[in-house]
Amino acid sequence: MRVFALALVLVVAATMVIGIAGLPPHGDPDGPVHTHVGARYLEQGVAETGLRNLVTAVLLVYRGFDTFLEVVVIFTALVAVLALPSATRQPPPSRDESAAASRRDTDDAVPVSPVVFLVVRLLAPFIAVFALASLYRGHVTPGGGFQSAAIIGAMMIALGLVFGREHAARLVPHGAKAWLQALGPLVFAVVALVGWRLTGAFLGFPADEAAHALREALVVILEVAIAVGGAVILAQLFMALDAPS
Amino acid sequence: MSVVFDAVMLLLLIATAITVARARDLVAAVVKFGLYSLVLCLVWQHRGAPDVAITEAAVGAGVTSVLFLLTIAKTARSERR
Repeated sequence: MRVFALALVLVVAATMVIGIAGLPPHGDPDGPVHTHVGARYLEQGVAETGLRNLVTAVLLVYRGFDTFLEVVVIFTALVAVLALPSATRQPPPSRDESAAASRRDTDDAVPVSPVVFLVVRLLAPFIAVFALASLYRGHVTPGGGFQSAAIIGAMMIALGLVFGREHAARLVPHGAKAWLQALGPLVFAVVALVGWRLTGAFLGFPADEAAHALREALVVILEVAIAVGGAVILAQLFMALDAPS
Repeated sequence: MSVVFDAVMLLLLIATAITVARARDLVAAVVKFGLYSLVLCLVWQHRGAPDVAITEAAVGAGVTSVLFLLTIAKTARSERR
């Protein structure tokens, strides 16, 4: 068995090394990365999309359909976790009263080191501002919806770890929870249909010079939806796993 | 200098990946995996991909570590032999 495993690893590794050896040198101007569609993105991207951050331009304008499905994948991951029986099952009532009570006690009062408590409390506002800045400047500088979602989600999880899940759950309004979880795919679908109405192409963005403001507005709406929806999904993944079972 | 930095970081990546795979204590494995993500985040930043570096730091080193730890808390701490 060990010999077989070793042989398998060696064969896969050799295949990968041969594949890497066949790649063009990093930064080669004649490599396919720079002569195919990439060249057009670099030359025309800013003029065509009006976005100065080409990563965002490719992500939302040129490759919008891929990003749409990416958002759907993240949403599907949450649906899969929530579909696990252990994630949503309530603790059995009354049968094991004392054990349930003691578990609830430890849930509410996890002993957190004062250092961790203070650091998380001090850092949380700065993390939130950084996330909002990277969202707000996402079409100009590095950053954007997905980065912002990851940062806000991580901040909510850190707060949940320190303050307990009861407090963390209040960060997401209960009535709007289901809508917020699905915000990314929903808003993407709406923007795609708006683009269809305006340009005749699903997820099309109006291309003429006069529609610059509208194009930018659509991109910002998408970014905000990705950020809020993604952050809520990350927080809900944490809540689902953290729930007493 | 740049090449040296890359080489050190990539060797660190390989070393942490091996220690993650060899760890019997799953909590130790999760902590080492967080270290792996942190080194990878530095590599992304150094290769000029700050977008990916931010996500790697937040999701790779932060969120997944918490989710893994919660899963360990719900299952078992050490790997079955």
